[in-house]
Amino acid sequence: MANHTPAVVMDNGTGYSKLGFAGNDSPSFVFPTAIATKGPTGGAGGSGSGRPAVANKPTFLTGGAGGHLSGKRGTEDLDFFIGDEALTAASGPGYGLHYPIRHGQIENWDHMERFWSNSMFKYLRVEPEDHHFLLTEPPLNPPENRENTAEIMFESFNCAGLYIAVQAVLALAASWTSSKVQDRSLTGTVIDSGEGVTHVIPVAEGYVIGSSIKSIPIAGRDITYFVQSMLRDRGEPDSSLKTAERIKEEHCYVSPDIVKEFARFDREPADRFKAFDARQPGGRTVTVDVGYERFLAPEIFFNPEIYSSDFLTPLPNIVDTTIQTSPIDVRRGLYKNIVLSGGSTLYKDFGRRLQRDIRHLVDERIKLSEAKAGNAAKSGGLDVQVITHKRQRHGPWFGGSLLGQTPEFKSYCHTKAEYEEIGPSIVRRFALLGGPGSS
Amino acid sequence: MLLLDYQNVLIESLLKDRFAPEATPTAIDQIVSDFDNVTFHISTPESKTRILISTSIKCYRELVQYGAEDVLQREYGPYIVAPEQGYDFSVQVDLENLPESQEEKDELVRKISLLKRNAMAAPFEQAFDEYAALHEEASKYTSESAPQGVREGGGVRAIHYRDEEAIYIKASHDRVTVIFSTVFREETDRVYGKVFLQEFVDARRRAIQNAPQVLFRHDPPLELEGQPNLKAGKGDVGYITFVLFPRHLTPARREEVISHIQTFRDYFHYHIKASKAYIHSRMRRRTADFLQVLRRARPEAEEGTKERKTASGRTFKVGG
Ligand SMILES: Nc1ncnc2c1ncn2[C@@H]1O[C@H](COP(=O)(O)OP(=O)(O)OP(=O)(O)O)[C@@H](O)[C@H]1O
Ligand SMILES: [Mg+2]
Repeated sequence: MANHTPAVVMDNGTGYSKLGFAGNDSPSFVFPTAIATKGPTGGAGGSGSGRPAVANKPTFLTGGAGGHLSGKRGTEDLDFFIGDEALTAASGPGYGLHYPIRHGQIENWDHMERFWSNSMFKYLRVEPEDHHFLLTEPPLNPPENRENTAEIMFESFNCAGLYIAVQAVLALAASWTSSKVQDRSLTGTVIDSGEGVTHVIPVAEGYVIGSSIKSIPIAGRDITYFVQSMLRDRGEPDSSLKTAERIKEEHCYVSPDIVKEFARFDREPADRFKAFDARQPGGRTVTVDVGYERFLAPEIFFNPEIYSSDFLTPLPNIVDTTIQTSPIDVRRGLYKNIVLSGGSTLYKDFGRRLQRDIRHLVDERIKLSEAKAGNAAKSGGLDVQVITHKRQRHGPWFGGSLLGQTPEFKSYCHTKAEYEEIGPSIVRRFALLGGPGSS
Repeated sequence: MLLLDYQNVLIESLLKDRFAPEATPTAIDQIVSDFDNVTFHISTPESKTRILISTSIKCYRELVQYGAEDVLQREYGPYIVAPEQGYDFSVQVDLENLPESQEEKDELVRKISLLKRNAMAAPFEQAFDEYAALHEEASKYTSESAPQGVREGGGVRAIHYRDEEAIYIKASHDRVTVIFSTVFREETDRVYGKVFLQEFVDARRRAIQNAPQVLFRHDPPLELEGQPNLKAGKGDVGYITFVLFPRHLTPARREEVISHIQTFRDYFHYHIKASKAYIHSRMRRRTADFLQVLRRARPEAEEGTKERKTASGRTFKVGG
């Protein structure tokens, strides 16, 4: 049966989960990777409520949600919400909110398992036995995490087949839709910036060059905080995180030069300053002014010192170092195909500024070495290209959708039978999908 | 709780978005799965304002035999268009030609998101009608004098909705019997399934008198005599029988009962999986507890502050 059904693609990120079916150009569901359970909000670690409860309660027969029995028999483990419903539930009494993923990695497996079961049955409406699954993982995910994932997918859900792909590799595949990308190669540098972390990941022919990966502790959440702090400093009528996030997503952009940008604000205030209508919980709307944070907030990628005192290296330098520490024979390919991925790369002109700054660093270095060589040997220069494309936002999901619909995908998956024969360690290796030799 | 919706949530939210007055029409092309070999295709092939929703259902032919076309005609009348290539049934809504009031719009969204439910409802509706007719007929006789046909009830409607599983529905003058055949490929699931079904059977005995009677067995029940391709006697096959009594069959309750019983298999499997998740969580808890005991048992000398590195190069401190 699983041979006729579309594969399910799930990209569970720190902030948002992207869920859908392979072959589509956008995920069916995008909602916060959050779960609301009975009881107070807890940390990420630890496990679920320890008290035994009877899980098999036949609510089906009573015909109503819950029913009078549920209170008596300790079914709090079955009483939870995920996604947007979780946020709603947790805003009232009785429920605590949890985020099972931290910095891209699953930290609370109990919550994640329940999050998945609800994703499948309630939202995607799939019987996992009928489908193959493509899941994503962050770079440098410990193999134990992969095994835990496989254990849940195969033992709890009996899913027909499982493939786990590194988000960065999928993001490269997603960029194939851009007209700037001529060859469908899996070589390039991926800048994946979401909610929790920003990773710079060099990939050569589908394999992540693990030793050269760099991560930066600045991503979407930090930029939201930055916007929030500016709203607070000015005493705006609404400076909630939600408002800060909306302002960030709707109004922020990257400027070529902040000094000039300040001047521009002074010259054309009517054009540059914006207003944002924030809806208050009571239904009232207040107007929040939006000013310099429009370009200052994303600027922290390029000048981290305006936000942080212990992390100071600008993103373009990180990208350059990442490529410089990669094997010499792939560097050219890594500079030529710098691919953006994730929600926090969507700022207008983010790619353009990045390309300019990296190019600058590269040209400087070339000039320096030419001078050292006495200008005897002119180098041909290096092509630096940053790829901005339409599928950037859900890059890893979209790449998964592309690869998951190929005819060979299902044969690249591990099956439940293989899992049972070999054990969880089977998922330590997957054949490379979309790599050389496949269509 | 772990109850499942009857409607397809994606179709529901997608249409709701598009029906909103401030929404701008955009191109859509999405293939969406639903339980039990049902696939939807939502697209805008002609123009951005005309949304085509098509469905393919594995057992569509059988459903047509049991009156699905009438049910669908009743529910979707003016919206029905010729089925899209590769699909069994299609409806189309024109955003420029939506009903006026918000209530009517909501109702249309609700209806379309219930497409699977409504198609699958046909054999149930037929059986419920047949029950009503037989009931009427039987009231004219005493139980001995009733003619053969009335005493035995109608034929069995078989719906092969999954590759190896089917639903059988049979009407009599005093009940409608619904039988699900199930297959468990996993030993563990079989065990969980049994426990779960036992709870079902007990629940009725204990408290929920209004619930339908539930029976579980490995051999095909008598009602299914003569049905082709029945598997029997092996551990992985089971038959779950629900007996719906007149109080479940009243016109007022019929819609809800049909919706509810249709989702039984998915609900059943959802619960088995949730139960396994629950046991896993207890196992993890145990492991964590043991590890804690072990850690406490470590010699004190080792307990100083230490810097460690994680895989990603972060440093953190242990102890101290
Ligand atoms: N248009 C936009 N402009 C700027 N930021 C945006 C935009 N849209 C979304 N974001 C931000 O992107 C972040 C979410 O991105 P994404 O879904 O890629 O992260 P994630 O996968 O959940 O997290 P991670 O990859 O860190 O695990 C949020 O911080 C969100 O505010
Ligand atoms: Mg991500």
